[in-house]
Amino acid sequence: MKKFKKYFCLMSGVALTLSLAACGPQDDAKGGDTKEADKPKELLVWEDIMKGEGIKDAIAKFEKENDVKVKMVEKQYTKQIEDLRLDGPAGTGPDVLTMPSDQIGTAVTEGLIKELDVDDATQGIYTEAAMDAQKVEGKVYGLPKAVETTMLFYNKDLISEDQLPTTLEGWYDYSKGVANGEKFGFLALFDQIYYANSVLSGYGGYIFGQDDNGSYDPTDIGLNNAGAIEGAQYIQKFYKEGLFPAGIVGEQGINVIESLFTEGKATAIISGPWNIEPFTKAGVNFGVQKLPELGNGKNMQAFIGVKSYNVSSYSKNPELAEKFVEFISNEENSKTRYEITKEVPAVASLANDPVVTESPAAKAVAEQSKFSVLMPNIPQMNEVWAPADSALQTIATGKAQPKEALDQAVETIKGQIEAKHGKK
Amino acid sequence: MQHRTIAPLLSIIPGLGQFYNKQWVKGLVFLILGASFVVAFGDLLNMGFWGLFTLGTEVPRDNSIFLLAEGIIALIVSAFGLGIYYWNLKDAYKNGKLRDENFPVTSLKSEYQNLIGQGYPYLISGPSLFLLIFAVIFPILFSFALAFTNYDLYHSPPANLADWVGLETFAEIFTVDIWRSTFFDVLAWTVIWTLVASSLQVSLGVFLAIVVNQKEVRFKKFFRTILVLPWAVPGFVTILIFAGLFNDSFGAINNDILAFFGMNPIPWMTDEKWARVALILMQGWLGFPYIFIVTTGVLQSIPEDLYEAATIDGASIFAKFKNITMPMILIAMAPIVITQFTFNFNNFNIIYLFNGGGPAVAGSTAGGTDILVSWIYKLTMQSSQYSLAAALTILLSIFVIGIALWQFRRTNSFKEGA
Repeated sequence: MKKFKKYFCLMSGVALTLSLAACGPQDDAKGGDTKEADKPKELLVWEDIMKGEGIKDAIAKFEKENDVKVKMVEKQYTKQIEDLRLDGPAGTGPDVLTMPSDQIGTAVTEGLIKELDVDDATQGIYTEAAMDAQKVEGKVYGLPKAVETTMLFYNKDLISEDQLPTTLEGWYDYSKGVANGEKFGFLALFDQIYYANSVLSGYGGYIFGQDDNGSYDPTDIGLNNAGAIEGAQYIQKFYKEGLFPAGIVGEQGINVIESLFTEGKATAIISGPWNIEPFTKAGVNFGVQKLPELGNGKNMQAFIGVKSYNVSSYSKNPELAEKFVEFISNEENSKTRYEITKEVPAVASLANDPVVTESPAAKAVAEQSKFSVLMPNIPQMNEVWAPADSALQTIATGKAQPKEALDQAVETIKGQIEAKHGKK
Repeated sequence: MQHRTIAPLLSIIPGLGQFYNKQWVKGLVFLILGASFVVAFGDLLNMGFWGLFTLGTEVPRDNSIFLLAEGIIALIVSAFGLGIYYWNLKDAYKNGKLRDENFPVTSLKSEYQNLIGQGYPYLISGPSLFLLIFAVIFPILFSFALAFTNYDLYHSPPANLADWVGLETFAEIFTVDIWRSTFFDVLAWTVIWTLVASSLQVSLGVFLAIVVNQKEVRFKKFFRTILVLPWAVPGFVTILIFAGLFNDSFGAINNDILAFFGMNPIPWMTDEKWARVALILMQGWLGFPYIFIVTTGVLQSIPEDLYEAATIDGASIFAKFKNITMPMILIAMAPIVITQFTFNFNNFNIIYLFNGGGPAVAGSTAGGTDILVSWIYKLTMQSSQYSLAAALTILLSIFVIGIALWQFRRTNSFKEGA
């Protein structure tokens, strides 16, 4: 048997060399792409969940005008990019998809979405902030569909409209009179940067610095500048004095704060338009308003989130897909979509349209958007969330002083950016 | 030249050696197998091996990750091919040798009987083995391979290619400050968590089983039903409910239970140490019913006469427990206990659902209760650090496999038949 093993080794060696020699780049194999000529064109569109109704009519019109078949599938908009990573190369991906604008930077880095060739006139119909959210290094990668920002929800049974404090300081005083460990006045998830940024940047903090073109500089982090620290100190006051209970801190905080509001145990909370429907269903008699003013007389600068329509890099009909994106985001279709889905459109002229101003929610979003800052869309933003939230959490629980915590957070963010994004 | 040399040499082209040995049918089968292998898998092997070595050369044509997957499939397919090839050569050699020694070559009939007789277990388990290779071995190889690439956000298809970087990712875990400090913090807590939580649930389960199984205890069925209840409710529901109960300012544990005893509220969710205590207590509650059931079964199978004999010899209750009950339980339970340890080592659900790995720890990329798996999850989902996550997964598996092997070897349960 020993002898046999020797032979076997020899022979398999020969066989392996033979097969390896055959390996090589297969340029020709894939080069001759046979074009499927004149097949009826088809577009696959991924729309946000429960929002498909809003673009049905527009799709029908587009089909008629361009002689194509458009298929629409509903998918949660924050997950679409994840699905595109696999579905795209497999050939089952969409031509048009929708996503939050802060994912655009990542998607562009990975090459998942296509640059759009949109003229200035088309770009001009949207609010500037919404359009900026679609750009990476000055190039346009999508058209805005809807804007979202946080606002103040207040319970009309607990406070009347004309009593509403207009400043955060006013809410602080109000809360002091109401908060007793069971009931609370004003509540917000200020242990999360998504919400706390409205205070921090109101005082002069920022996440990433911007150059004149609006491009973000990931080495310039303003989360521990004097303004941010002042803001954080202000935030800490609410927790220290028991106006914000420790029970709303942390991962489960969002559930607690929402149930406190629906149970009528909190007079006002900061939340987003996504809660309008749940609160209405829960039977809360609530109103919405733009966020209160800060102690320095400035407005709270909440994050704006922009939802957009984008064209997949894997699209087989990119021109048509682009045309569809432009069509579906035009003024007329944006208006129709708003009427059905109630998502506030990013078209500038619609902000003063009676359809929008009549709705208090849309009005609040539109008003707050004026003072809001864009969520940075560069991939480095991924490294900001966790450390910033950690810092704010330790500030909220009183475990750290604002300055130390924020310095530490910035150091961690810089380290992570260096480690994960340094070696391009 | 001897037949035993010529036949395998000819069999370099499958089947020819068998023809030389005048085994026509077998030779034909090998020849067809060989030819169809080349025809069917030629392209796959070619593309696969090329992709595996280069991970693509041109964007956007090449997708490194798909090429890697294809390459691994090619690897598996060639392993199958080489297996059959080896069989072909061995067969040619064996029959050549028989001819050299002037024995008749094996007939087709005897070969068939041999296959049915001795190879029966292999024949039956063949299909499942085949499935196993694609359902288990393939993903393991794939994630294993990922750890040696630089696959992350900046090396993702379709815009960029990934590349082989060898052990660089592993080196980074130990050289880059944030990774190293976080890794060791998380590892330390993972080990403590595994040991304490598993020991708690096992000892609680065994203890309760022994108590309920005492002869003097009445309403045994009632107690058993009650004690199995935590197991009957789906784990994730229990965890979410507990997360509410443990809430610092609104949870029932602080407001009702501790307040009733006049104790100050405890920061379960916002203090790292208390969050860990809460997790361990919860896992004890979630995990003990299973141990309880198994131990109850074991206890009932211990022959009564052992105890009778011990009583006659004047053994105390404690001596009986130490010398009869405990050894019997341990022998039967050892493998189950080990699985409890490995399960808790990777117990993602409880960590993630309770507090998302929180509370936050300043200066760390993981939360205070994050164990290795939940940290890996965060790395992949939040910042697309695929290769780093794969490397950590390998380290984690080495740890788990090492402990499990060591434990299995020390227990008596697996000695038989090994």
